[in-house]
Amino acid sequence: MRRVLAWGVMLGGVALMLLPFWFMLVFATHDRAAIFQLPPPLWFGDGLRDNLAILTQRLPFWRNVGMSLYVAGMTTALALLLCSMAGYAFAVHRFRGQRILFALVVASMMLPPYLAMVPGYLVMDALGWVDAPRALWLPGAASAFGVYLMRHYITHAVPRSLIEAARIDGCGEWRLFWSIALPQCRPALSALGLIVFVGSWNNFIAPLVVMRSMERYPLPLALRTLQAQLDTQWGALMAGSAIATVPLLLLFVFASRRLMAGAVVVAGDEEG
Amino acid sequence: MNRARERAPYLFLAPFLLLFLAFGAFPPLFAAAMSLFVWDPASGYASARFVGLDNYAFALTDPWFWQSCGNTLWLALAAGVPQHLVALPLAFWLHRHAGRARHWLLGAYFLPFITASVAVSLTFATLFSTEYGVVNQALRALVRLPLAPDWLHDPALIKPLVALVVFWRFVGWNVLLYVTALQSIPPTLFEAAALDGAGSWRQFRHVALPLLRPTILFAATLSLIGGLQLFEEPYILTQDGRGGSGGAAATTAIYLYRTAFDFGDFGTAAAMSWLLFLAIAGLSWGAHRLFRRGDAA
Amino acid sequence: MSFRTVIVLVLAGAALCARAAEPLTVAVYPNLDEAIRLVTPLWKQRHPDVPLRFIARNYVDHHNAMTTALAAGSGLPDVMAVEVSYLGRFAAGGGLTDLAAAPYQAGRLRDRFVRYAFAQAENSGRIVAIPTDIGPGGMFYRHDLFSRAGIPEADLAISWESYLGAGRKLKATTGAFLLAHPREIKDIVVRAGLKDGDGLYFSATGQILVDTPRFVRAFTLARAARVAGLDARLTPYSTEWNAALRTGRVASQPGGAWLAGHLEDWLAPGTSGRWRVAPLPGGSGAAWGGSFYAIPAASRNKALAWELIQLLTLERSLQLAAFKAPRLNAFPALRAAQDDPFFAQPVAFLGGQRARLYWRDAAASMPALVVNRLDPLAEEVVNAELDHVLDEGKDIAVALADARRLLERRMRRP
Repeated sequence: MRRVLAWGVMLGGVALMLLPFWFMLVFATHDRAAIFQLPPPLWFGDGLRDNLAILTQRLPFWRNVGMSLYVAGMTTALALLLCSMAGYAFAVHRFRGQRILFALVVASMMLPPYLAMVPGYLVMDALGWVDAPRALWLPGAASAFGVYLMRHYITHAVPRSLIEAARIDGCGEWRLFWSIALPQCRPALSALGLIVFVGSWNNFIAPLVVMRSMERYPLPLALRTLQAQLDTQWGALMAGSAIATVPLLLLFVFASRRLMAGAVVVAGDEEG
Repeated sequence: MNRARERAPYLFLAPFLLLFLAFGAFPPLFAAAMSLFVWDPASGYASARFVGLDNYAFALTDPWFWQSCGNTLWLALAAGVPQHLVALPLAFWLHRHAGRARHWLLGAYFLPFITASVAVSLTFATLFSTEYGVVNQALRALVRLPLAPDWLHDPALIKPLVALVVFWRFVGWNVLLYVTALQSIPPTLFEAAALDGAGSWRQFRHVALPLLRPTILFAATLSLIGGLQLFEEPYILTQDGRGGSGGAAATTAIYLYRTAFDFGDFGTAAAMSWLLFLAIAGLSWGAHRLFRRGDAA
Repeated sequence: MSFRTVIVLVLAGAALCARAAEPLTVAVYPNLDEAIRLVTPLWKQRHPDVPLRFIARNYVDHHNAMTTALAAGSGLPDVMAVEVSYLGRFAAGGGLTDLAAAPYQAGRLRDRFVRYAFAQAENSGRIVAIPTDIGPGGMFYRHDLFSRAGIPEADLAISWESYLGAGRKLKATTGAFLLAHPREIKDIVVRAGLKDGDGLYFSATGQILVDTPRFVRAFTLARAARVAGLDARLTPYSTEWNAALRTGRVASQPGGAWLAGHLEDWLAPGTSGRWRVAPLPGGSGAAWGGSFYAIPAASRNKALAWELIQLLTLERSLQLAAFKAPRLNAFPALRAAQDDPFFAQPVAFLGGQRARLYWRDAAASMPALVVNRLDPLAEEVVNAELDHVLDEGKDIAVALADARRLLERRMRRP
């Protein structure tokens, strides 16, 4: 009896967690008038095509989708490379300035992102990068969290003796990293990759400050443009939100174990 | 030692450090410098004038700044505490009783965490619309309401709504942290307690909770840090991104954004962001101390 | 400052490299993007080699982005749209080109625009922007509901007291609310009786005016409406407000001329013929919004930018097209455009009223107010204090004194 009750509460909770997603998908297929009627639509309508038409008419919508994919992809690829290199250096090597540099990296994780908003803009401006996609993916790739995660993982999962043995065998420093250490890090790499991708895909503030032309807006910012004071097309906004969400849903279905394993690494560290 | 080996760590670090210093470390330091100046934004920063700690004094005597701090703390607690009260028993139950379904149940709770906050906030804005929103229609079907609650505009309701959205987004993250931590507890401990006649509740209360203590402190610290930086949910949910009428749900992050981009007072905004950082660092340090003591005990 | 030198060098480099096919960029907020779409064919004809590129942002985001760009001194478009409430802030510094100077000499254009609109952009000899659309308006009301309650239009217009009286009668007979929110009353009353050279929240010399009798009366009337239960407690321009206008739950709504078009197109499409527009109670004059175009001082293409602004604001056919465009409904600031026969045509949505003529006259008699860089802040502070009065019963004198104190603090800032 208590088992049934517990399962009931559990599944009820799951339903509440998923309900907003359901309405987002359903509303994406209705026009503005249908969303705000009594009773609200609970099942799919036939307005998706019209909503997409509004999106493509008011926004360079598919280019916004492409920009999101491009920025998130570049950020992820670069972050994986740079963070694993830096994390490896911190984990395996002993060098002058190591402690202070690592402390700096950790401390920067506590900085509110809004601290860097105005000066960050000035830096981009000085570099002439305002409105350039690299203004989004280059800073995004310098993930302090990523370095922290990789250093932690390499410290625990790559035995120092393995590195030393290879070194004695005459293995060069780059090959030690690339061929010995990195293959051991696959779980951490895939977790970090997913976390960086999701973070970059969802980023709103950075593009809000540095992007200038609508063709280069990533999705969240493009959607916000449609949230006008008057005349908000809610159906189209829900369709856009659904499109911004569905790739992540798919990613999650296929890679949820890895994504959550990434969290294991984070949580595990604080206990150790 | 050979030189290649000595040089290697610097070469490995160089590309990351280059980007990190330019985009991670320099801007906050620049903000610290900016916080000592006052200038008219419409004239550009050539008009900057050094004012010492004036901007900090202004921020600390600004009633709206304090109101935003109060809101931020309120939201961090109202969204944060229930997250952990729900996540702990949920994680325990998932760990002990969900069996093979555990992964998918956990996944369902985790899903909101990876969804764009812009999409989430827009969706909630439609669900909580006063007249025709799904929530008020459901409420009206259940109870007789004299006046439909105006979630998105009533200063007294917008804060709980923001807290709800934040709770919904992050509860799964905490469940995940706790499930992960529980997995590192040897199952024999629970089995031994069960043999002693302890039911589920007592296993949770007397075996799991004490062992989870460090994780709880860690997870709570993360919630606190995240809560104190809250920006996007109230920004999108409230009209014009102002945090509601009179800034009822304006967090410190929103207020400092507005101070810079809306009021054009970049120096004070920079000062506020450093004050916010000091508060976050102080609280994290306090939590860390607590956590260390917990370890020693 | 060496940082600045770096910027200048980088910019100069970029300018040299990218001179050839550089487009003319225009930053706007919705729905002014519609106006840029309208001008594009004409522009292509004149300058096939200079493409027109526009950037639309959410209304608040647009003005914030422009503030940032001005603060940094770059990343600016060649032409920027400025809404009237931000005009004071953007005019305050040297970030916008002075159009009074050569080669623009915009002063000679003064008489071609509605007087009050042009004057708002003119301050101590400088002209920072050119008006494109204005927001003269009136009291939109549901004629069918008021006639059912036996209330003549005159009752709405004579005085504020008779307006509220009409609201009581309306609610008793039809159950409809008089208006969405008492803030609407306050917004009009604070503008009543102003003359040329006066300011709304700040005087021309920068004195704070938010605790003057004007504001006391505005707050008192707003509170009276709330106490009598005449407002639907809806936030204007929210989805709920929209629904209430559609269903007739709210029976009057003051607003600019553009509201007629929005009501007809999508706010309340099924209510054609049931609306009318009346003069504001007590002969008040008020305007709802207004858009301007300015050239940032950092623009590298000022000659073309000026040409585009002249097209947008001085080309009669474009001004009319922007007025007729369904999503824009931009009431022309150009006086020549107001002589079009279109203005004398009856408006079917308003039951055949010749409302456009009324708006034209209202615009012509509007006083030219001075703007202040703190106008947007003052509006927000006053609205917040009004909410305290309405929702928490805060004393009006205390509320206005608090508003004054908050503004005093801000005035000491840059």
